[in-house]
This record gives sequence, C-alpha cells and structure tokens, in this order.
Amino acid sequence: MTRTYRASAGIMLAPAVTLIGVFILLPMLLTVWLSFQDWSTQTPFANASFVGLDNFREIFGPTSVGRDFKGALVNTALYTALSVILILPLSVAFGLMVYQRDVAGGTALRTVLFSTYMVPMIAVALVWSKLYSPSEGPLNQMLGLVGIGPQPWLSSPRSALVSIVFLNVWQQVGYFTVLAIAGLTQIPGSLYEAAKLDGASRREQFRFITLPLLRRTLLFSAVIGIINAVQVFEPVALITQGGPVGSTNVLTYHIRRVGIERAQGGLGSAMAVMLMLALVVVVCALFALANRKDDE
Amino acid sequence: MSAAGFSGSSRRLSRRRQSGRRALLATLMLLVAVASAFPLVWMVLSSLKTPAETMQVPPVWIPRAPNLEAYEKVSGVINVGRSMWNSLVIASITTAGILLTSMMAGYAFAKYSFPGRSLLFSVLIATMFLPPIVTLIPLYRLVGSIGLNASLAGIIVPNLANAFGIFLMRQFILGVPDDLIDAARMDGASELLILFKIVAPSVAPAIAALALFAFVYHWNSYLWPLTVLQGNAEDYPIVISLSRLLSYNRGALNTGLVMAGATLAVLPPLILFVFLQRFFVDSIVGSAIKG
Repeated sequence: MTRTYRASAGIMLAPAVTLIGVFILLPMLLTVWLSFQDWSTQTPFANASFVGLDNFREIFGPTSVGRDFKGALVNTALYTALSVILILPLSVAFGLMVYQRDVAGGTALRTVLFSTYMVPMIAVALVWSKLYSPSEGPLNQMLGLVGIGPQPWLSSPRSALVSIVFLNVWQQVGYFTVLAIAGLTQIPGSLYEAAKLDGASRREQFRFITLPLLRRTLLFSAVIGIINAVQVFEPVALITQGGPVGSTNVLTYHIRRVGIERAQGGLGSAMAVMLMLALVVVVCALFALANRKDDE
Repeated sequence: MSAAGFSGSSRRLSRRRQSGRRALLATLMLLVAVASAFPLVWMVLSSLKTPAETMQVPPVWIPRAPNLEAYEKVSGVINVGRSMWNSLVIASITTAGILLTSMMAGYAFAKYSFPGRSLLFSVLIATMFLPPIVTLIPLYRLVGSIGLNASLAGIIVPNLANAFGIFLMRQFILGVPDDLIDAARMDGASELLILFKIVAPSVAPAIAALALFAFVYHWNSYLWPLTVLQGNAEDYPIVISLSRLLSYNRGALNTGLVMAGATLAVLPPLILFVFLQRFFVDSIVGSAIKG
C-alpha cells in the first residue's frame, strides 16, 4: 500500500519538480557558478573560465563598471524602501476603509483599488509617462490649481526615481489592501467590544489592538513588497532607460543590460548573486525584528 | 456609564461627531477611488481625442468629438490582431500547464507522506521569493541551447510550473477530507482519476483563482518574452508591441495612438477581473491566512 503511494507521489511530483528544477533551480545554481567565471553570454557554458572573485572586485571597484553597479544598488534600495514605506500604511488605511461598516461602498472601493493590479506594467508606464508630461499632462495642471508650480517628474534626476515609485504604488496598493483586509478579518471583534467597554477611543483601539495584531500581515506584506519592488523594469526600460544621469538605473534593468545586451554573463551573474544575498539579509533582518517584538 | 444627568447632551454631541466622521470617511473613500481610477479613465479619454487635442496646453480633459481614429491608426503601426493572438496563446497554454502541474504536485504534498517531503516543499517554496532577474542570464542561454529561443515555445515552456501554484493547491487540497479519497480508493479508482474526479471539484474556486492569476500574470509579463524573443516581431505579445508604439510615437508625437494601444492591451485582463474578482480576492485572503 505505502509502496504504491510512493510511486504515485513520484508521478504526481515529476512534472512540477522537473520543470522548476530545470528552469529555476538549475539556472540559480548556474548564476552562482557563473559569478566566479569569465563568460560571454553569446557562448556555451563550457567556454567559461574560472576567475575567482574578480567579477565581485570589479563590480565593487572604482571603474565605471563598479560605479554603475553601486549606483544601481543604491537606486534599487531607495526605490524599494520608498515603495514599501508608502504602500504599507496606505494599504492599512485603505483596508480599514473597505472593512468598516459605517459607510457603504467598501466593496466597490476594493474593486477599484484592486483593478489597477490587473493592468500590465507596460501600460501603466505608458499612461503615467503621459500623466507626468510637464506641459500637456494633467498632473501639473492639477497641481497648478492648488498653487503648486509645475514639477519636472521623470525628466529631472532629483524626481525621476520617486516618480516611478508613485506609479508603482498606484499599481500595487490594491493588492496589499486585500492582504490588509485579510489580516483585519482575523482580529476577533470581541477585543474591540471589550476595549469599548473600557472606554478606549478609536485611536487607542487602533494603536493597541489593530496594529499589534496586524504585525504578521504587515511582515508578509513587507516581504512581498520588497520582492516585487526589486523587479521594477518596464518603466525604466520604456521611459527613462536608467536616466536622467543614471538616477533610475535599477538592478533588474542594469543586470539585463550587462548580462544580456552586453553579453558580459560573468559580471551580470555576480550582480545577480549580490542582489540575492541582499534580499536574504534584508528578509532575515525583517523576521528577526518581528520576532524580537513578539518577545517583548 | 456616566451619570444620568449629562448623558443626554453628551449623546447628542457624540451623534453629531459620529455623522461628521461619516461624512469625512465617505469623502476620503471617494477621493481614494477617484485617484485610483483616474489614470485608466485618462487613458480611455485620451484614446478618443484628436491628435491636436492630445497636444493641447493646458490639457483637454473631455474630447469634444470622441472618435476611434487612433484605434484605426494603431493597426497600421503594429499588428494588433497577431499580437493579441500571441498573448492569448502564451497566457492560455502557460495557464493550462500551471494548473496541471500545480494540482498534481499540490495533491502529492497535501495527501501523501514520503521521505523528504517537507524539505522538497521548502526548496520549491523558496523559489517563489526569487526575483526572475536572478536566473535570467543562464536561463536565456539554457533555453537557447535547447533551440527554443526566438519562439513562443521559449516563452511558454520555462513557465509551465511555479511554486505559487503548488503552494495554493496544497493549501486548499489539505482541506479535502481523507475519507472521500479513501472511499474512492476502495472502489479501485486510480490516483489521477481521484485527483480529477474527486479532489479537483472540491477545490474548484481555488483552481479558478489560480487560473485567473496565471492568465493575467502571463498576459502582462514583459521581461522574459522581451529577452527570449530577440526581436522576432512575428511572435511579439501585445505588451511588447505596445512598447514599440512609444518609440514610434517619439517621432510622430501622437499620444492618442499610444493610449489606444494601451486600452486594447488592458482590456482582456481587466474584463476577466471584473467578472471573476471574487475568486481573486478569496484566494489571496485564503492563502495569506493559511500561510
């Protein structure tokens, strides 16, 4: 009996495990291996030659390769931090709006918010590039109505990255709102009843019940938000090409340019390995922080 | 419970505060909804403007004489029909593959015990958190070396299984009663038959959700198709054709054209969402809670 199930387990798992093994796990190991090789992406893997840590020295070195990579690393960190810092509080605020029962229309709001998540990022980038247009775009016109002067948005190195963060937040916040709602439904209503009897204000209820009990949801959202944010590619590839002055050169765009377009597979792989390591460190730090708070 | 003396006036006060709070909340909700819907509304409105209107400063909000000229012109610049068909092929076949592999693996992880189960599951789930760029360079070479580059097959084959699907299916199949499965085994049903005739119908909403997720994700996907197709315009999905509209547009400066193309590309996933959003939302909520 057990033996038949073991055979069945093999059959059931074979397709998924083979596909994920060949097209995700194997390439991941190859990325690590290639990061220690001098290798052109145009040639077979067999042409790679071992160079030790040279690729890593180069991407952190003083040459233009190093400058570009470090710039991309900083831009990606900024972009990711800003995206998550904006998305998390907004998702909780919007989640509370959808979840409350005092004013009707919560479900309709959820539909509107979540629908942006269905829009291809290419279309988002195209549409926002027109919204941001300094002269004939509607955003500067609306700012003008409230007395704020025209902004350069995507055309200035000071504001281009933030402008891409905004369009990312617009697209993603609905998804995170649904996650926040999932967290809110998990909080027992009896806690709020008890708090009301004790005379707690709405603000106190939020501070001492809602927020602490949302911590696991927020941790999950932060991890997903980070993983999503480092994948930013379309707006950069389509509109800014990393500019102006390298201000929107982010890792996914930069690694693809180096590893695929310039065919410097070894260098690109070393950058990809650094991205992977950075993600592991950040995610572990987040979990450690959350666990320490749990102990308090 | 305050003294009876001033409870009347304080109740009136709190009722007034209550209605003020409601009005504020309703206003905020309306503002959020408008801000969220605005870019897509602007996209559709702009696609109906005349070229002159799209260039006007200050911008025109409502086109004076809405027309479909931009939609006709888009077909002259990119092959809309072919691109939409390519996207449909990519998204449908990929989705079918993901459903099949995820149901099978999800069933195995939920209902069989075998050595190394939790280790294998952890390794597979870890790939869910791997950004695609990390594997892009070797994957590009790998797919090229098996002769699949510059083709639809090259876009589809590497995506036929993913960790999210396995995770989602396992979470929901765990809830299917063992008795149901054992009874079918007593009757001599094969494991595959049990999966499709007994397990699948009881997790149908989750299957619908996964199908929609997969379809929309692969309809919208850009990085991998762009990389693997290497300029083979015949096989461009709509999102890549759309991106070429912008470089065309740089010369002609016709915003309406870009907006018309964007509207066409956005419609299929948005229509699916409007009709089936219940499944989307339920599955996100379900997987987040159970995870």
